[in-house]
Parts: sequence; C-alpha cells; structure tokens
Amino acid sequence: MSKTIINIKNLHASVDGKAILKGINLEVKAGEVHAIMGPNGSGKSTLSSVLAGREEFEVTDGEVDYLGLDLLELEPEERAWEGLFLAFQYPVEIPGVSNMNFLKTALAEKAKHKGLEPVSSKDFLKLVKEKSQLVELSDKLKNRSVNEGFSGGEKKRNEIFQMAMLEPKLSILDETDSGLDIDALRIVANGVNTLKNAENATIVITHYQRLLDYIIPDFVHVLHDGKIIKTGDKTLALELEERGYDWLVKDLV
Amino acid sequence: MTFLKEKIFDIKTSPIDSVEVKNALTQVSEREFPQRKTEDWRYAKLGKILNKNYQFDANEVKDISAFLIPDLEADLVVLVNGFYNEQWSNIKSLDGVTILPIEKASQLDAFKNHFNVLAKESQEIFTSINTAYNQGGVFVEVAKNIQVERPIFILNINAGNGVISNARNLIVVAQSSELKVIQRYVTQNGTENFNNALTEVFVKQNAKVTIEKIQDFSEFDRQVCTEEIHQEKDSNFVINTFTLSGGFVRNGLNIKVDGTNCYSEMNGLFIGKGEQFIDNHTRIDHLKSNCISSELYKGILKDSATGVFNGKVIVHKDAQVIEAYQQNKNVLLSDTATMNTKPELEIFADDVKCSHGTTTGQFDEEAIFYLQARGISKNAAKEMLIGAFANEVIEKISIDAVKDFVLAKLA
Repeated sequence: MSKTIINIKNLHASVDGKAILKGINLEVKAGEVHAIMGPNGSGKSTLSSVLAGREEFEVTDGEVDYLGLDLLELEPEERAWEGLFLAFQYPVEIPGVSNMNFLKTALAEKAKHKGLEPVSSKDFLKLVKEKSQLVELSDKLKNRSVNEGFSGGEKKRNEIFQMAMLEPKLSILDETDSGLDIDALRIVANGVNTLKNAENATIVITHYQRLLDYIIPDFVHVLHDGKIIKTGDKTLALELEERGYDWLVKDLV
Repeated sequence: MTFLKEKIFDIKTSPIDSVEVKNALTQVSEREFPQRKTEDWRYAKLGKILNKNYQFDANEVKDISAFLIPDLEADLVVLVNGFYNEQWSNIKSLDGVTILPIEKASQLDAFKNHFNVLAKESQEIFTSINTAYNQGGVFVEVAKNIQVERPIFILNINAGNGVISNARNLIVVAQSSELKVIQRYVTQNGTENFNNALTEVFVKQNAKVTIEKIQDFSEFDRQVCTEEIHQEKDSNFVINTFTLSGGFVRNGLNIKVDGTNCYSEMNGLFIGKGEQFIDNHTRIDHLKSNCISSELYKGILKDSATGVFNGKVIVHKDAQVIEAYQQNKNVLLSDTATMNTKPELEIFADDVKCSHGTTTGQFDEEAIFYLQARGISKNAAKEMLIGAFANEVIEKISIDAVKDFVLAKLA
C-alpha cells in the first residue's frame, strides 16, 4: 500500500467570520491524482488557500496531517520546504525581483532548512535549462521580473516551471486551466504529467472537465457548499460536463 | 556658543571676501525662522534644530578610512564640520580642473561671477546663514571641453557635539565639459550636530554634471542640505539623492533650466526608521523651450519615521514644448510611519507634456504570500521586495563603485 501524503479530516474554515469549508474529508496517497470540481463559490479555492497557509482564512475545526506533520501549524514557507506546492490561480507579478533570483533564493532556503548545501550556480543553471524546456519557457521570460508582463498562459507555464524546479511531494493546481488556450493547456498538462511519479501526488482544482482530458485523475470529488458531496472516478467528470451540478445538489435535498 | 533660535550669532562670519557675505548677514538678522504655518516647512519639527546651542569646531579626524567608498577612484575633498581639511583631502592636479578651498578662490573671476548668484534668490533663512557663516567648502571649476574622468568625492564629516557646519561649495563646469561629483554626509561621533551645507552648480552650454549624493548621518544629527543648480542650453544635469539615515534631514533642490534643449533628472531614495524625519523639497523652473525633466523619488518608512516629498514643476510662459515627468512612490512598513506627499505643477505655457503621480501604500500582501508559498520566509520576502522597490533608483547611479556601495548599505 502506498503511503499517505495528506489526510484532511473534518476541515472547517471561515473568512471574515463567514464559514466556507464545512467539513472536508480527503485522503491523498502517493502516486495519485485527485480532481476537485465544483461550481463557483463551493470552496475550491478556499481549500487550496488553507492548505498553502494563507493568513486570512481561519481554520475553525478539523485537522490536516501532511507526511506525519500537523500542516496547520506550519508557516507557508515551512509547508513549501516540506514539499507542498500551490500553483496559483492568479500568479502575482513582482516587479524588480528577477525570476532567477527568486528561484535561487527559494531553492537555497529549502536547502538550508534541510541542512543541505545550496545548489551551485552551475548546477542551478543546468536545472533551469532542463526544467524550462518542460514547459517551453523561453530565456527571455526566465530572466524577467517574476511574472511581470507575462501573458496568462506564460504565467501558468511559469508556475509549472517553478513546480518542476522545487520538485514537490504534493502539488495543488488551483484552476491552472483558467485562461489557457488549447496549446498552452497541452503544454501545462504535459509538464504536470512528466513530473508525476509514484512518490508524489497531485490535487487538481478545476471548474471544467477539459483539463482532465490531459491530466487523468484517479479520483474526482465534487465540492458543494464547503463539503465533498460525491466522489467517483474519471467518468464522474464526464458526467458533470454533460449534466452540470444540479442533479447532485438535488440528490442532496 | 550660540542659541540658533535667538539668532545671536556671536560666531565667526564667513572668511570669503565678498559683499555677498555682508548682505547675507543683514538677511539673517531680518529674516524669521519658519513657523509651523510656513507652508514649505509645515511638517518639519524644527525645534530639533532651533532650540539648541551650537558652536563651530574644526575638529580633528584621526581616520577617514571607514567613510571611503571601496574601489572608488576619485579626487577626495574632505570637509570636517564644514571646514576644508587639508590633511585628508587628496587631489591630483589635472589640466583645466581647479579644486580649491572656497576661501582661497574668492579672487578668481569664475568665483566672483558665480558665487551666491543662485543662492541669493532664495528666501530661506538657512541659505542666508550658510552664506554668512560658512567656514569653508570647495570651489571646483572645469574649463571648456574637458571630460573629467575622475569624479570628485566631497566627504562631509560631522565630528563633535552640538557643532554647526555650513559647508559652502561652488561648482562651475564650462562649455562642453563633463563632471561627476559624489557628496557623502557622515557622522564620526557625537550628537546633535547641525549640518547646513549648500552647493551651487553652474552647468554651462552643452556641459554635463552628475551628482551622486549619499546622506547617512547618525540618527542624532540634523541636516538642511541645499543644492542650487543653473543649466544653460544643451546641458545635462542629473542628481541622485540617497538618504539612508539622519535624525532630521531637509533637502532643498532647486534647478533653473535657463536654456533650450536641456535634460534634467532628479532621483531620490530615502529610508526612514525610528523617529527619523526626511523631507525632500524639489523645484524645477523651466524657463526656456524644448527641455525634458524627469523626477523619481521613492521612500521606505519604518517604525515611526516621517517622510515628506514636495516636488514643484514650474513651466514658465515662454517655455514651450516641455516634457516634465514626476513620480513619488512610498512604502510604509508600519502603522505608525507617516508620509506627506505633494506634487505641484504650475504651467504657464501651452505646448507642454507633464505627468505626475504619487502612491503610498504597504507592501503587496499577495506578493509576500506568493514568495512564502515558494519557500522564502516572510522576512526574506519583505527584504526582497524592499530591494526590488529600491533598485529602480539605485540603477540610476552612474558610478559602479557607488552603486555597489549603496546596495551594500541596504543589504
């Protein structure tokens, strides 16, 4: 049996006193891809924010075990050092901070935390070259300020490039398909699939089924009003595409 | 000893042999110190300067190595408490370049033709005090058609307690010549010193002058620092002001663009912490047509620091086809830091392209979270963003050694 990467139990979270997550239970094991789908406002992005450690969300109940650690006790950077990666729905532009300097600092801090020597400049450049090819990111983009002036597709490719550089154990892709044309979608999905192995896991949060044509999920969960109301295999995604969410919600009542 | 507020100046007057000094003495006795209601000084807590006893002091400095800029090849002028210091100044004589203690220059034509020509237009009492009571400074003249490769580094040192210094500099760069100047202000020791330095600069036809100004007095020292600039046609003037420390700093930068086809640039970066007060007042007068001016000031304020930016751009009636750009951006890193910013555009010509903008805010929390989510700790993320914010101004520095020095000071 493969090892559990993350185990979310009865997770409740609110923002500004308003309850958004109302008891999420989800276990993700190594080698698995889980898709979380659901209509707008169901809590998809809140879930990814809480897992990544965004401050404005308050966890009111429940627990999250991540590789034997109490995830909710960790700072966002500590979560990253432990191999948790969030691909942002809206990657932030940071003028004046070069993409390369940013990644080098991120890798150095992680190495420091792990008690390792920081990667040498030579090895770093080699790594950059190799990983950027994965998502067809040009040198021009790599050397710019973080996400500054990037198109929507370039930002998402940059997210997957960073993911490749950091080699996470758990990747959470938050609406990574939003705003992507079909070519960009294929490039991004190809990157994610190449990085997938038996030791890591992926949670794909998406509104649409089309990304799941490229990244094949082992499980599909439907989130509604802060709870997972149905879990199935990849065929559930197709059914949702066909029938929408209403039939599930009706069943609930 | 004197009590500045009561203007009992029983101290030595300027040794410069000029009628200007006598006129300035009269002005000092007639003028009032700014009040809280004086618009241009409304945010300044002048009590820090006025309610003190000050004295002149040509203090000795035993070692200046800590104040030098690594790898900087420059002619060195050392001013200690406003006195020209022969012991530490180190000047290579170059043909066509005159560098002299200002009091020794007073009989030169270039001196007589330029000294106080700009400063006497000022209504500021601190300017009159400088003219009346300065005890030294440097006179620099560059003859025509000389690109001076070695910059001149004017190192201003405060040394002592309650010392007033009124360094006075005059820089004249003749037609088609080029000069770079570094001005640094530091404290050796002591507290409650008041540095009231003033520099007049004449940029003649087709000449180019660049000033890199670095202020890092101790947080117990005070400064009123004035530059008066005059540009003739086809000239180019750039000043980059870095205020990295100082208890009370008031910069007054005035540029008269008195010729066509000129370029003027003013950039500034100021970093305030503790209870520091940093005030940048700039004024550019476009008097002739076809000129461009560009201004970028950025402030980072921590703790309970206060910043002021007031930038006046005045496009006079006969100055057509002017492009004037001004920007002031500030970041407040605490709830108790304060920034007062006021751009002022006065345009009397019709064919003018002007823009100004000002922003004051906190760091983008989204950017900090993004960096954290990639494994960069919160403090390192903030440092990274501060560095990125400051870098836009640091990039303007024209001398690599100075750029590296400022970067190292921020690290």
